[in-house]
This record gives sequence, structure tokens and C-alpha cells, in this order.
Amino acid sequence: MEQKVNILMVDDQPGKLLTYEAILGELGENLIKASSGREALDCLLRTDVAVVLMDVSMPELDGFQLAEMIRQHPRFEKIAIIFISAVHLTDLDKLKGYQRGAMDYISVPVVPELLRAKVSVFAELHRKARELESLNRDLEQRVQQRTAELREREMQLRQRADLLDLATEAIMVRDMQGILQFWNSGAEAFYGYSRQEAIGRNVNQMLRTRYPNPPDEIESVVLRGGRWEGNVLQTTKDGREVVVASRQVLQRDGSDAGPAILEINRDITAQLRAEEALRRAEKLAAMGRVAGIIAHEINNPLEALRNIFYLLRSHPSLDDAALTYARIADEELTRVSHITRQTLSFYRESKDAVPVMISDIINDILSLQSRLLESHAIVVEKLYLSDGLVSGFPGELRQVFLNLIGNAIQAMPKGGLLRIRISEVMRREHHPEGVRVSICDTGSGIAPQDAKQLFEPFFTTKSTKGTGLGLWISRGIVQKYKGIIRFRSVKLLKGNITAFSVFIPKSASPEISELGLVSSASTS
Amino acid sequence: MAKTDVILCVDDEENQLTIRKFLLEREGYEVLIASSGQQALELLSRCEIDLVLSDHLMPGLTGAELARQIKLRKPDLPVILISAVNEIPPGAEFANIFMSKLDGPVAMCKNIASLLERTRRSQSSERFEGRDFAGC
Repeated sequence: MEQKVNILMVDDQPGKLLTYEAILGELGENLIKASSGREALDCLLRTDVAVVLMDVSMPELDGFQLAEMIRQHPRFEKIAIIFISAVHLTDLDKLKGYQRGAMDYISVPVVPELLRAKVSVFAELHRKARELESLNRDLEQRVQQRTAELREREMQLRQRADLLDLATEAIMVRDMQGILQFWNSGAEAFYGYSRQEAIGRNVNQMLRTRYPNPPDEIESVVLRGGRWEGNVLQTTKDGREVVVASRQVLQRDGSDAGPAILEINRDITAQLRAEEALRRAEKLAAMGRVAGIIAHEINNPLEALRNIFYLLRSHPSLDDAALTYARIADEELTRVSHITRQTLSFYRESKDAVPVMISDIINDILSLQSRLLESHAIVVEKLYLSDGLVSGFPGELRQVFLNLIGNAIQAMPKGGLLRIRISEVMRREHHPEGVRVSICDTGSGIAPQDAKQLFEPFFTTKSTKGTGLGLWISRGIVQKYKGIIRFRSVKLLKGNITAFSVFIPKSASPEISELGLVSSASTS
Repeated sequence: MAKTDVILCVDDEENQLTIRKFLLEREGYEVLIASSGQQALELLSRCEIDLVLSDHLMPGLTGAELARQIKLRKPDLPVILISAVNEIPPGAEFANIFMSKLDGPVAMCKNIASLLERTRRSQSSERFEGRDFAGC
């Protein structure tokens, strides 16, 4: 449906105007009549006129003059004017007309078809011009709107990106194929990949992500429910394995490339490690508490029993056989006491550390074990380069060496060599001065698969006796002295050599603590 | 004529107390028994006692607290704490000796004997130094 344009007809003779009206009525446009220059100007100012039809000679105003006035107004610079002239125009006049910016002439008598044709051409031109203008305006408006939208969007994104950059967590956006589109500074810092390195890469490939469930299962959870949360294992740029609490959210209108997944990851490696350490410490503490309770509950009846057998051993009414039974019972009970003391606590005999000669302790132990050493046909070699004077509690230190020497003897049931060496260690950088004791045997050795767990509680390689706590307790005691306990086992053609080495610093006095069992074990 | 030493045995467990009493009587001591710290203090105020042998973990007064109370009243009276706990409890320093029940009857008797001996010696040396000069 085309818009009608306005055609202004100016003539001082109403009859003529009617004629023009009749002729141009067919065109179907708006026809406006004006019978003077003033009226014409008035109309022009009020309406948007496409073509002005003008008589050249009018009483008030010369057609040419009117045209000149019209053309001077910037709004009407290009307006179409058709002059109608009864007067015979010479070419010179025509030129004058054109100079004043007229567009066309039509002479009287007016040929209706000609008039219609000329008017319609200009009318059409005007219409088209107006349409174009309106289209332009429309376009411009739309462009403006779009630009504003984009600017707004960009600002939002920038604000969001700034916020995300403030976050220390790793925040990333990736498409459904896993290709990274956004990588915040938290991710840069955590994973070690810069923005340039990360964007465009497949996130799970780059980080070597290991999911608790198969990845496509997780993806379907995200697609259906919109989110997924869980712990995953990833690897940073420098090869560090980290445990990460990952939260993934589906963004349906992500970018123009379709839905995207927003992923926020938090490093919980340290937290998990701390939790595990806490669990272990709690377990050990619980063990310690239980041990304490058991110890107390056992020790009471144990003492009563020992007292009874002590009494029985010298009771006059018993015959030889009964006395023997009593004696054996007494010995066994002594052994039980020894075991419970060894396994259920670190029993300290006094509150203050005293000077202790390790050579004395070891000699004591060797004489205690002399019968066993003989029966196992073990040759003992002592290499005491020093007396091994340290400050500590003799009971505890005895426990350590008793355990190590006992293990060595048990490892050589059919003979071997037990070499014990005590030496002084001078002060070095990062290493205080102290006493080193090495206990070496040629027994069954320690298998490589056992090596890692050797100091763990309840770990034992002995098939029969053994609580599995000996080395664990020994390590605990050595740690209390801020010392070092190590071992090495070598398999040779003609047998094995196993050597345990204990280092006790001279000046460090062992940490006095009320918890005893717990504190030493948890400093592992 | 050597006077028989009187030992006050304190323990909340009846069996332990009975056996310990038998044992110490066999060793030649006179034994009085109490099953609580409170009872022990009461007996102390009435009878002549040379040494107190007490368990530590008891309802009411613990052995350590009992030792403290005894030392407040009779600072020269030797006290031995004998306990089933494997760690030396706080307050054990009020007693002259803290020992474990695990140490066995022989050690217990040795501790008692040596402590009594020491106490006797220090008392006589004090007398000699002129604290108590009675006629003969």
C-alpha cells in the first residue's frame, strides 16, 4: 500500500485549478490547491509536498520569484516544481526558469497525459525518496539499538570477567566439546597455564582430568539437571597431581556457539591431606586411649596373679611338682607383664632425663640375650668407637635396642653374625652432633615389598610371635629424641645383610609429653 | 628388739588388697588395710603407721591426692604409690616412690624395705644431731 504524496497546485484562476484537479485526480495522490504565492508558501511550510505545480504568471507573485523563494529554504532545495506557462516561452525564459531551479515546464494548452506523466514521475520520486529516508531511519535506529545492546553486553561481560578474575578459584567456561572459551586468573595461577595457552584447548585433555564416574555419564547429568558437583583428579602444568572440588553448571545461552559449561574448581588437596592426617592422628589417639584402658584393666589382675604365685613359690604345703608349676606360672606372668608394658605404653621411669650410656644398655641387652644368642649360634661383634653418652630415659632407649637386637636374633635362627657399632657423629650443617648405633645381621633380610610398611603399626613379617608394634614403637621413641632410624637390606649371593641405624642427637632432650604414645606416633 | 613395721595398704579392689596383705605379712610386716583414701586418712589419725602403700586410681581421693594429704599431716611418713596405669600421673611427686604394678612383687618388697631403711636412718641421724635428747 503506497503512501499518498501531496501535490500542491498554485494558480490564481480557480477554473484552472479545477482543471488540474480533474486531470491529476486519476493519480490517486493528495491534491492541494493554492491560489496565491502566500497560500502556497503557507502550505509548503505546513505539509510535506512532493511536487508544486505553478503558473508562471500570477498577479501577486511572479511564478519565478515564488520558485526562488521556495528554493532558498533549505527544506525545499530539491522540491520538484513544474511550471505551467501560457505565455509562449522562449528558450531564454526557459533557461531563466531552470536557473531558478525549476524542474520542468509544461506549456498551455496542457496535455492531460503529459501533465499526469510528469507529475507522477516526480510524485513517485518523492515517494521513493521518503520511503528510503524512512528505511534509513529505521535501519539507523536498529543499528543504534544493536550497538547499544552489544556495548551493554560487553560491559557486563567485562564486569563479570573482572569479578571472576578477583576470585582465587579456577573459573572456566567451555563448550560442549570441552574447548575452553574462558579461563580466569585463578585458573592461570592454579593450573599454571596462561590464558593464551588454555583458550581453544580441550580442558580435560589439557588437565588430564580423572572423574569418579565415566565422563559421558557426568555430561548427561549436567545436560539433564543443569549441574554436577564432585571431586576430580587433575594434573597441573608442572606435573603436580591435585584433588579438586569441581562444580559444573550448564549455561544454555552461553555464546552464539550454543550451550556452554561453566566450571568452578577449588583445590582441596591440602585439605584432604590434612583431613587424612587428622583421621590418622585421631585413630592413633583412640588407640592410645584404648591401650591405656586395656593396660590398666590388665595390669591390676596381673599384679594380683604375680603376687599369688610369688606367695605360692615359697608355700610350705606344696610338693616339688606344685612348686615347679608355681615357678613356671610366675615366669610366664612376668613375660606377660613385659609384653603389656612394651606394647601398651611408653613407660617412663622418671620425670627428668638422665645421662645414659648406650654402650651400657647394649651390653645389658646382649647379656640378657646371651642364652638365645648361644642357641642360635650367633657370633657377636662389638665395635664401640664411643661409649655413646646421651641424655634421656634408659627404659625407652633400652626398648629401642632390645627391639632391634631381638629382631636381628630372630632373623638368624640357624646362626649368623651380629655386628653392633657405636660411634660419635660430629656436628654438620643441618645435622646435630650425636651418637649413631648400627645393628647389622646376616639373617633373612627384608623384602623390598615389606620395606615401605616396616615401621607401620601391626605390620609384622614374623610368622609366629610378634605384635607388629616393635618397630613402630621404636621409631616413635627415636622421633621423641628428634633422632633418625633407618635400615638397609642387601641381598647377596651367599646371604643377606640387614643393617638398622639409629641416630640420637646429643643435646636434644626427648620431648616430654603427657600423651606418650600418641604424640610420638603422630609426629610421623 | 626390732619393732615390726606397720604398713597401711590402700586399694579399692578387694582381691588385690587381700593378696598384697598376705604377701607383705609373709615378708614380716604388719599390715592394715583401707579400701579408700578417706578410710586411709582415718586409720592414719588413729594408728601408728610406718609406711603407706597405695593404689593410684581409686574413686574419691586418688593415690596421688592421698599422698599429698598424708604429707601435709605427716611429712616424714614414707608413701609409695603403686599403680596399674602405664604413665606417671600428675601429682605422683607427692609420693616418695611411684612404681608400676607390673614391676612385680620382688621389686615392690625391695622398694618398701629400702624406703623404710632410709626413713629409719634419717630419723636416727636427726636424733643424733640433737633434736631429741632423751635419757636412755
